[in-house]
Amino acid sequence: MELPTKIEPETTDLPTTLQWRLERKSHGRLDCVDARGQRHADVDVLRAFPISAPNDAVALIAADGSELVWIETLTVIDPAVRAMLEAELASREFLPVIRSIESVSDGEPTEWHVITDRGATRFKVAHADDILCQSDSGAFITDTFGVRYRIPNAMDLDPDSRRRFEKSL
Amino acid sequence: MPLGRLGLETGEVVLAACRFDLDASLNFTDGWIVLTDRRLLADLPASADGEEHSTAETLRAWPLDALTQLDVRLRTGVGRIELSQDHRVIARWLFTPARAKAIHSLEDVFDQRLHGQSTIALGTPGNSTHNDSPKKPVEQNNPTPIVSAKSSDDDEPSFSKDSSEASWRALGRLVTFARPHAAVAVLGGVLSLAGTAAALVPPYLTMPLVDQVLIPRQAGQPVPFERVWWYLAGLGIAALAAWLLSWAQSWTLAWVGERVAADLRVRTYSHMQSLSLDFFSGKRTGDLMSRVGSDTDRINTFLSVHLIEFSSNVMLVLLTAGVLTAISPTLAIVTLAPFPLVVWLVYAVRERLRRGFARSSVAWADMTSALADTIPGIRVVKAFAQESREIDRFRATNDRVLEANDRVNVVWAFFGPLVSLFSEVGLLVVWAAGAWLVFSGSVTVGALTAFLAYISRFYGRVESMIRMVPATQRAAASAQRIFEILDCTPTVAEVPHPLNPGRVKGRIEIAGVHFRYGPREILHGIDLTVEPGEMIGLVGTSGSGKTTLANLVCRFYDPSSGSISVDGIDLKQLSIPEYRRNLGCVLQEPFLFFGTVAENIAYGRPDASRAQIVSAARAAGAHEFILALPAAYDSRVGERGGSLSGGERQRLSIARALLVDPAILVLDEATSSVDAETEAIIQSAIDRLVAGRTTIAIAHRLSTLRRADRLVVLDAGRIIEIGTHDELLAANGAYARLYNAQTKAAEQAAAGA
Repeated sequence: MELPTKIEPETTDLPTTLQWRLERKSHGRLDCVDARGQRHADVDVLRAFPISAPNDAVALIAADGSELVWIETLTVIDPAVRAMLEAELASREFLPVIRSIESVSDGEPTEWHVITDRGATRFKVAHADDILCQSDSGAFITDTFGVRYRIPNAMDLDPDSRRRFEKSL
Repeated sequence: MPLGRLGLETGEVVLAACRFDLDASLNFTDGWIVLTDRRLLADLPASADGEEHSTAETLRAWPLDALTQLDVRLRTGVGRIELSQDHRVIARWLFTPARAKAIHSLEDVFDQRLHGQSTIALGTPGNSTHNDSPKKPVEQNNPTPIVSAKSSDDDEPSFSKDSSEASWRALGRLVTFARPHAAVAVLGGVLSLAGTAAALVPPYLTMPLVDQVLIPRQAGQPVPFERVWWYLAGLGIAALAAWLLSWAQSWTLAWVGERVAADLRVRTYSHMQSLSLDFFSGKRTGDLMSRVGSDTDRINTFLSVHLIEFSSNVMLVLLTAGVLTAISPTLAIVTLAPFPLVVWLVYAVRERLRRGFARSSVAWADMTSALADTIPGIRVVKAFAQESREIDRFRATNDRVLEANDRVNVVWAFFGPLVSLFSEVGLLVVWAAGAWLVFSGSVTVGALTAFLAYISRFYGRVESMIRMVPATQRAAASAQRIFEILDCTPTVAEVPHPLNPGRVKGRIEIAGVHFRYGPREILHGIDLTVEPGEMIGLVGTSGSGKTTLANLVCRFYDPSSGSISVDGIDLKQLSIPEYRRNLGCVLQEPFLFFGTVAENIAYGRPDASRAQIVSAARAAGAHEFILALPAAYDSRVGERGGSLSGGERQRLSIARALLVDPAILVLDEATSSVDAETEAIIQSAIDRLVAGRTTIAIAHRLSTLRRADRLVVLDAGRIIEIGTHDELLAANGAYARLYNAQTKAAEQAAAGA
């Protein structure tokens, strides 16, 4: 069953095709010129479903927090803009990939000592609920400061790391 | 009460009946009040005129006419029924709250009769004739009598007869859960029998080993040593076989036990989900959690560990007795003589233990409840600095657990060693009797050796059987607690063949609705029709019945009398889940489940696409704050919404309601927990939600109801005003007073700021 149209009036004035422009400014800032020609400096690019559907649903957010552009899926937009958005997302998204787990303490919060693709680090995880396992045996770990770490596939970790990871669940 | 006693006239129909149970001086008594279509018949009332009555079987009758009036009041534990004529009380009966339900029903029927609304509850299923009333109307060809009470279960609470028997029955009922795994269970039984038999072989082999090998050899006869090897091999093989068989048996039966417990947990939980709201309002969360959790676990331990042990022990004891009798009947009788005494002891101690364990289970549930109460309420505890009091409270419940367990342990600690004593004495008796029989030549030394080997096993098993008595009692008490839940029936039940309403238009007709909760009457006859798409604002002071009315529309409860219908169909005829698919609720305290924001929005429609979730969130004004969360729609929110503010949680719950696209919307104080500024944001979301849906909105803050098509003002369970905002202001009644008080308060607040 389709939702009645009355609850999606906003989508009509948020253009998904290129009635808007992105401009790269100095220091990596992005400006957006919307369909009415109005310029918004220093916009944010956010994924709405960063975990469950990273390539769908990207939003451009003005500095004041209001939504400028809603992109249903990245695959349908102009490749040049898409490249720009993806570069922006990549530069903003800090999601270290865990390569090996050196130690995990007992109890809660657990203290992790890991080696990531960005180097070695230590962090604390408040609760086992902050470790989100996905069906493809990948996992996201959120530390006490909200930084997320990713394990693409727990099966690919070395046996010691995997044992420590599984123990922590 | 025999119908004949009533002395009904021909064609007279019994409409309702109830019993009163107190006399004028508040002593218990028992009498009937019966309402027919012509008269009110009753046993002699508590004296209304000061005159003392004997308890003679006299029945009085008052003809019904417009002048008689029946007034029922229930205060401070004693109810009073007054029958008056021309404003003069002519009879009075007293009753306890236990009778209130039936008496109130009779009152309703009486009022309906008197005011000529004779057919309100006619023909609705569930309105069957009252249980403790004279069973049937006298004349079957008369119109269906209007008896609106459903059942008299509440009138006379059933007291359990024998708790010990009940607990055994509860254990027996567990068998029904094992039925799907019957094949494996039978296999387990066979293995257990075989294992027991194998365990009996070694002592039997010692008999010829002693009599035919060792003693002849000692006596100087030539016996080849190979025979010793043969017997040793036999002993080894038997031991090995017994081990393998008991391993297989334990595994099989444990497999069944696990499954029975798992089924039981799911059955209990899903049954709990099917129960009506009033079940949960009367129960403590911790108690229910401990029933589903630890009680099923105890049953599991019982089934997978103790029951196996028990059955194999019983078999071993029986087989041993058989073998002993076969070897030497005399010695067997002597050996087994103390056994009946042990059985008697077990029997004697069992009941004590069961009571002890039941008490301990209750104490444990109390302790869990103390936790379940205070952990969610931790902010209140800390705000009022009551930590130490809560610790004391917990300690007190914990002490009760300790005390309950101590009592059991006293019995148990005495009983356990007593059984050991019996087995020692038993062994002594066998030695004595055996020595005597060997001297008299009636048994061989080998047979005596075998006997001694058997008897130590025998008493070992008896001891372990007895050790299982507490486990059995514990499991029985647990099983009983679980079946208590399974035996609850939903008070809001579906009719046998419910109608599927599909998508309703949303015309709600509330006709003559009364609602009682316990002895209190909360709604006294509500009549209201809501057109499809209309928004009704319910206004009134706390306790005026607004939420109750909304709950009735949601069919969380059924009205005590009267009916609510949607699109012309009585709610009771509809399939509950199908009907609720048409409903959206936004409550004062939005509840968020543990999961992501997206999952919470899609709670009522798990199959919703991401685009639908996002557009619902947009319409609810939640989209932008969701994007600002660390993982946007994939952010996790906790039990109570974690880091989200009240207004944010409320917008999520509005998005949730929007996504199911309900035809009927219930807003219960949706904005009262947020500040005025947030309310403004939520209000625009609500306006979008309300558009085109039949809406029943409850609000203290009257500004929330500015878009309502009609306002309904409730007071003490009655509708006192209906109209638009302007009409009601012009009428200058209750609504105008409420409104003026609120605007004045707002102005004062503004002036003060």
